[in-house]
Amino acid sequence: MAVRVAPDPASTIVSRGRFSSWLATVDHKRIGIMYILTSLFFFVAGGIIALLMRSQLARPNEHVFTRDTYDQMFTMHGTTMIFLVVVPVFAGLANYLVPLMIGARDMAFPRLNALSYWFYLLGGIVLYASWFSGGGAARAGWYSYPPLSEHAFEPGKGQDLWILAIHLTTISSILGAINFIVTIHNLRAPGMSWMRLPLFVWSIYVYSVLILIALTELAGALTLLLLDRKVGTHFFLPSKGGSAVLYQHMFWFFGHPEVYIMVLPAFGILSEVIPVFSRKPIFGYKAIAFSTVAIGFYSMLVWAHHMFSVGLPTGLNIFFMLSSMTIAVPTGIKIFNWIATTWRGNVILDTAMLFALGAVGVFTIGGLSGIFLAAFPFDWQVTDTYFVVAHMHYVLFGGSAFALFAAFYYWWPKMFGRFLDERLGKVNFWLYFIGINLTFFPQHFLGLLGMPRRVWTYNHHGWWAAWNLVSTIGAFVMAFGTLVFLINVVRTTRVGRRAGHDPWVADTLEWYTTSPPPAYNFDKVPYVTSARPLRDLRRRLQEGSVHA
Amino acid sequence: MRRAGALVFVALLGLVLAHVALAGDPAGLSPRGPDSPQAAKIEGIDWLLIAITGGIFVLVEGALILFVFRFRNRGRSRTLEGPEIHGATRLELIWTAIPVVILAAIVAFVLVKLPGINSADSAKAAGPPLIVKVEGRQFYWNFLYPNGVIQVERMRVPANRDVKLLINSEDVDHSWWIPALQGKFDAIPGKTNHLWFRADRRGTFEGQCGEFCGYEHPHMVAAVQAVPSSDFQSWYDREARAQASGTSDLGKMTFDGACATCHGFHAQGAFGPDLRGNPILQQPAAIKTLLQNGRNKMPAVGKGWSSRQMNALLAYVKRFAGSSGGG
Repeated sequence: MAVRVAPDPASTIVSRGRFSSWLATVDHKRIGIMYILTSLFFFVAGGIIALLMRSQLARPNEHVFTRDTYDQMFTMHGTTMIFLVVVPVFAGLANYLVPLMIGARDMAFPRLNALSYWFYLLGGIVLYASWFSGGGAARAGWYSYPPLSEHAFEPGKGQDLWILAIHLTTISSILGAINFIVTIHNLRAPGMSWMRLPLFVWSIYVYSVLILIALTELAGALTLLLLDRKVGTHFFLPSKGGSAVLYQHMFWFFGHPEVYIMVLPAFGILSEVIPVFSRKPIFGYKAIAFSTVAIGFYSMLVWAHHMFSVGLPTGLNIFFMLSSMTIAVPTGIKIFNWIATTWRGNVILDTAMLFALGAVGVFTIGGLSGIFLAAFPFDWQVTDTYFVVAHMHYVLFGGSAFALFAAFYYWWPKMFGRFLDERLGKVNFWLYFIGINLTFFPQHFLGLLGMPRRVWTYNHHGWWAAWNLVSTIGAFVMAFGTLVFLINVVRTTRVGRRAGHDPWVADTLEWYTTSPPPAYNFDKVPYVTSARPLRDLRRRLQEGSVHA
Repeated sequence: MRRAGALVFVALLGLVLAHVALAGDPAGLSPRGPDSPQAAKIEGIDWLLIAITGGIFVLVEGALILFVFRFRNRGRSRTLEGPEIHGATRLELIWTAIPVVILAAIVAFVLVKLPGINSADSAKAAGPPLIVKVEGRQFYWNFLYPNGVIQVERMRVPANRDVKLLINSEDVDHSWWIPALQGKFDAIPGKTNHLWFRADRRGTFEGQCGEFCGYEHPHMVAAVQAVPSSDFQSWYDREARAQASGTSDLGKMTFDGACATCHGFHAQGAFGPDLRGNPILQQPAAIKTLLQNGRNKMPAVGKGWSSRQMNALLAYVKRFAGSSGGG
């Protein structure tokens, strides 16, 4: 058994004052909230960029923006949503929840935890400041393939700042990942064995391991690109003996685990929310835990399915088709388990549950279109088209973002002691649900009609123009959904209904303490005897066998 | 009142969609075409996947909606719990095995179709394959034929004959893509990819660059024009002689493909500056340097051109030297 590390008490020097106490905090809950609010800010920024792009694409030959601005916008939209929203928002949620869920007082390394957050914020500031650098922001796309991202083709400072920003967020994520792994290994409550770990914590564990493997590798790839740009090396310059394809391998060796870094915690959220609102235990706890690990493992063996059109040997294409199809199996298992959890339950359709069920339903579409993309001859037709844009947004918006909103509606009462409004929440959900399908379903058709991604305009009419218009309308429907959510948040801080310590009658330890919890989290942590310690406690109380 | 508004909206939307549908446009359920055996096989995979995933979609979403509707709360207390079901090993094994079988079937189907997609379909081909070198460049395609003929943006091929393309790039990554004939294959500097196709019929098949390559990526278009074999042969020989003697339209073709994207078909300027009356047009050596090295936003469009193509262009642009655009 490992040593239980006592968390460092917060520094008291600058901990007085409402503002400075947040600046100096090492409390995992405050850091978590800062992460979440910062990523919400960037979510809105990235969303506004998306709306501007959809305005440009609403009609053929539109001229809302110049080609140069458009290229910067799609690069910034992708980079923002991936590096400044989805990955850090999960770090934020996990920061808040993991210690509470495992019955710990804080993360294993509270100061390192604060450092992670500040690196993340700095990365975001650098990225957004790059709009104002000489030549504007980076414009080579979120995966910035060389030679296009090399100095010869992209001499602007934006590309260098883009690399710097990603390095900063990468350091942030790596430090956070180490912290989560150590915390989960060492600070679990007495009795909480691995098979009693909440499934969200399982997913954060695999998320952290993937970050350690994939993001360190990305940092290497980007360092080589930076050396090419600034020092005159030519790792990725074919004209000087380098290899442009090497970068693609390095990037996607990070890029595909990254997809699961962004989706596994969402799966973890669904595995927490669906049982509580079905009033049943999760169906197949072990299957879900092991499939999380299996997905994490396979995610490192599928990277070249992003590269089927690069001209790899046929044998390799077949291998990556097989491995990509294989990963569909554990993913399918999870979906079946969630659906089975609702069977014969007492299904309560609160907003959190609506978002969780919506995530299952919408993510399924993204999973199924993934099978199309794994069949590589078909991928030759649709790779780098709007079909891929549709697929990826069904996974990332349908899967990750819907699950995140489920998490917000579910854990908001714990974090702030007040419920988000249910009526506004339902409006939020339905606007998102209609909006995502209007926006992204027609994009499958656009890809098949021949519309490549990353085009700032097109000169086609008929269905091509019609589907684009539908997609733009859908994007604005989603924007209204976001607006409703923000109104809900602001309204809740003033007039939100107060929540007790366990408003949903839930299963896990975070609901054992007050809402919001005190700085030290728990007066006393109960001995954990199953994966649903709080339910056990309730039952023991009912049976009168607890003498507290 | 509100319902009437919604009805009007739906009716209008329906009218718009019906109007577009009646125009006889494909809506995008499958790739365009197919007009080659290769594209037809890819479309076969598409329809198989639509059938299988469509079935899975209906089952999964159906179960989800049915369970949620059937077991919804209906005002029962939150504390009322469902049965303690923690799993069912046999059921879980079944729903692990079924996807494995389905996916294996898909893989088998793909592997059966594969040889006819990534190689020649020589069974019905008339004559030996035509091999064309395809060079991707910012922001146009250059085609080099075995007998020295150069074409830009529009590739002429014989119908019903195998064509093998050797694809590479002179600058950044591009992707060659004519959806009706084949999937896309990347043009990557330092690497030569090849693909096969055989146009089933005469006609012009359009496509555009499939990999983001810079600010004019959406305007990097391509077309393959398939003509009857005899017409092709006579054009091929005639064009070779014309290009060798400098009497072909290679200069115009190169200007329209490589220059007009930014400078306009009449050099009147668009994204790039107006070239009419520009003194540099009088200095072939200076243009040559500019074309081979690029400057600021202008890519090195002429890097590696044969002297035949360079001279044809230099001769063609002279016509813009005198005609000042008046600013």
